[in-house]
Amino acid sequence: MCCPGCRAVASLIAGGGMENFYQQRTSFSPRPEAAPLGSAPSIVENFLHYDDPELAATFTEELDSDTCRARILLGGMTCAACTWLIEQSLLALPGIKKATVHLGQSRLEFEYSTQDIRLSQVFDHITALGYKARPFAASTARQQMSAEYKTSLKRLAVAGLGMMQVGMFAIALHAGDIQGMQEQYQNLLRWVSLLVTSFIVLYCARSFFSTAWRHLKIGAFVMDLPVALAIGLAWLASAWATISNSGQVYFDSVVMFTFFLLLARFLELRVRLRNAWMWFDVEESLPTSVLVKRDEKWVAVTRKNIEVGDIVLLKAGETIAVDATITNGSTAVEESAFNGEELPRLVHPRDTVFAGTVNMEGAVEAQVTGACNDTRLALLQRSMERGESEKPALAKLADRIASRFVVAVIILTSLTAAIWLTIDPQQALWVSLSVLVISCPCALSLATPAALTAAANSLRSHGVIVKGENALESLARITHILFDKTGTLTQGKLAISEVVCLGDIDQSEVLSIAAGLQCHSNHPVAQAFNQLASRINFDRVDYKVGAGLHSLDDYAYSMGSESFCRAYASTLPPPPKEPLYWVGLCKGDTPLAWIGLSDTPRSEAKNVVQGLQVAGLNVELLTGDSSEQGPVLAAALDIKVMHKGMEPQQKMDYVQQLQRDGAVVAMVGDGLNDAPVLSVANTSFAVAGATDLARTKADFLLVEQNLHAVNNTWITARKARQIVIQNFSWALGYNIVAIPLAALGLVPPWAAAIGMSLSSVLVVLNSLRLNR
Amino acid sequence: MASLYLLIPIALVFCVIAIKMLLWAINSGQYDDLDKEAWRILADEETDRSEHKKKEPPTS
Repeated sequence: MCCPGCRAVASLIAGGGMENFYQQRTSFSPRPEAAPLGSAPSIVENFLHYDDPELAATFTEELDSDTCRARILLGGMTCAACTWLIEQSLLALPGIKKATVHLGQSRLEFEYSTQDIRLSQVFDHITALGYKARPFAASTARQQMSAEYKTSLKRLAVAGLGMMQVGMFAIALHAGDIQGMQEQYQNLLRWVSLLVTSFIVLYCARSFFSTAWRHLKIGAFVMDLPVALAIGLAWLASAWATISNSGQVYFDSVVMFTFFLLLARFLELRVRLRNAWMWFDVEESLPTSVLVKRDEKWVAVTRKNIEVGDIVLLKAGETIAVDATITNGSTAVEESAFNGEELPRLVHPRDTVFAGTVNMEGAVEAQVTGACNDTRLALLQRSMERGESEKPALAKLADRIASRFVVAVIILTSLTAAIWLTIDPQQALWVSLSVLVISCPCALSLATPAALTAAANSLRSHGVIVKGENALESLARITHILFDKTGTLTQGKLAISEVVCLGDIDQSEVLSIAAGLQCHSNHPVAQAFNQLASRINFDRVDYKVGAGLHSLDDYAYSMGSESFCRAYASTLPPPPKEPLYWVGLCKGDTPLAWIGLSDTPRSEAKNVVQGLQVAGLNVELLTGDSSEQGPVLAAALDIKVMHKGMEPQQKMDYVQQLQRDGAVVAMVGDGLNDAPVLSVANTSFAVAGATDLARTKADFLLVEQNLHAVNNTWITARKARQIVIQNFSWALGYNIVAIPLAALGLVPPWAAAIGMSLSSVLVVLNSLRLNR
Repeated sequence: MASLYLLIPIALVFCVIAIKMLLWAINSGQYDDLDKEAWRILADEETDRSEHKKKEPPTS
């Protein structure tokens, strides 16, 4: 168990008879952020404002006098087992009548009885499970996506059924050709095929026609143009053959072509939508409501309604929602997300705290200086959007190539038609149709997306979520890989690394006294001592914010910073020279020990860095931390280039400088301060437990706490690139061989259609090798 | 062979019915989440609570 939250969830899962979760989950959920235990009961309060009927009405609808249906967006769902856990545990609550989770859309729909349960309890329950919950706002973009998905699924399904029908008739017709068939039955089969095919062309293939026409109107040639031409011409010609009772019919080719194209498009759409639906919103990390002083009372107000000048109460353990100046009380805020420092900064009245940082110690009152859109966090986000627009767009290049190819195909087809018109006008239409079908860039257009989709799926099953598939393409070409320090190469939390005993005392005794004292503290230093089993119990310990602890008993132990300890024990020697975070321990006026804490590197970090270096990549370390920890870590991991004390802007500039020098850069990071650089780098990773802002901006999300995934992703990306090259060579080679044959009239349209389909299938199968 | 005149229309009617049902299923959202359904079959749907419900003796 990594934290109290896990323990709670585990006992909830086991107690509720849901052990299955552990068997069914395919990946691990991101670790919940550490929050002091004491803050747990206040969660319900945070959701109380959802009980307000006015707010509730925005995401619920009344089914009858007693029952309501609500829709909630969920964050942190990783696999199907999550949906099962949420559904089952919600159904166990009194008053919940029905609960359905859509994994693809991260959405929960439930029906509840308004008398038995309040919305705040549901929100609380979901939060206690470790997922994030937010009211679902029906945005038009989401509705459009949902409609697009349904339409294309319908078209695909109808085309599939139609293909079977027409295929049966086609087999009968071909068999009839060989065995001899009476003309009346042949006509019957032709007419029925025409009927079914017409329906498919008009219903299923409509999107090809409309897209081609829409782009043609603005003078653009897209892949859909030759597709629409081939389908349209083959259908019209076959229809004419049926009506005039002459020549060949190729209805089966038409529907097969339509179905395969729709299938490829649908698979592509699914991956695209899955990424679009994934809920990674930066705002989710900020509390939705804040306690504001109104008429001498604390009232929960939604974050959007807070104004500059309001006095807010910032509770311990909470993420701060606004930029504010402390007016009353003092505490320590953890700003690691901003600057990579894992030690909290002490703040007193008149100091400023920023949105997105965490209040570690005590409740304070503060006056808002920057509300909702004016926070430093929001500013960071805006600078990132600018950086993102400067990112090289690979997709556009593919579009340009495709449009040229399409023009070439059409010119070639027209030429074939013109030449054949002079040789044999009867054959002209069919020959040019063969050219059009055979040269259809279907395999060519599938070559890249099929490989990238397969690679993304394979990575997903290995605990890496791919957000932008184009990123795989750039990942295969990287020359530099940059790592952030805190939380990326290191664990992101302090651990005991050295104990220097000063008096007549041994190490285990020092640690058990320290562990006993630190039970009474919320400071991140205390976490380092949590794991120690043997501890001495202290009843009364005085805790001085940002300084140290002092036991109020006969021993009068004190533990804390140098100045704090020296106040009790004046003989305390200065701490050792190593660049560690030193905590002193004294008994009365006798110094006992210095305990050195540091952020330990992840166990696999060295292997990963070495693996990347052996593969010929330049590995560098960029950190916002300006202490000596950076160089020490770089030396330990054998990283040659290291930059410390870098502001987010500097990191961004550095990467852009590298890019100007011709480098292709991958960035691995986790914090808010990494988000801008993640968006500028050619491709980027966010490690498990990264801040939401970093997750939104990264191309790859690691689900598990294992850096080896970075290495694996890179290998997969390189494999994917090889497959893309193979696919392209095959598709182009096939076209180069087949187009002249078709132009010479040696390939009948049905063979062209089969050849085209086989070529596409081959490309897809080749891509699927990545899944193994 | 003359039976084709009857059998083919019947086949088409069945096809239309199948398409109708499929469209209805898609429209009513049964295909919205293709990822979860693959797992649903593995989950023990019958938790204590739903068993209670089913075992409730019919009134009257």
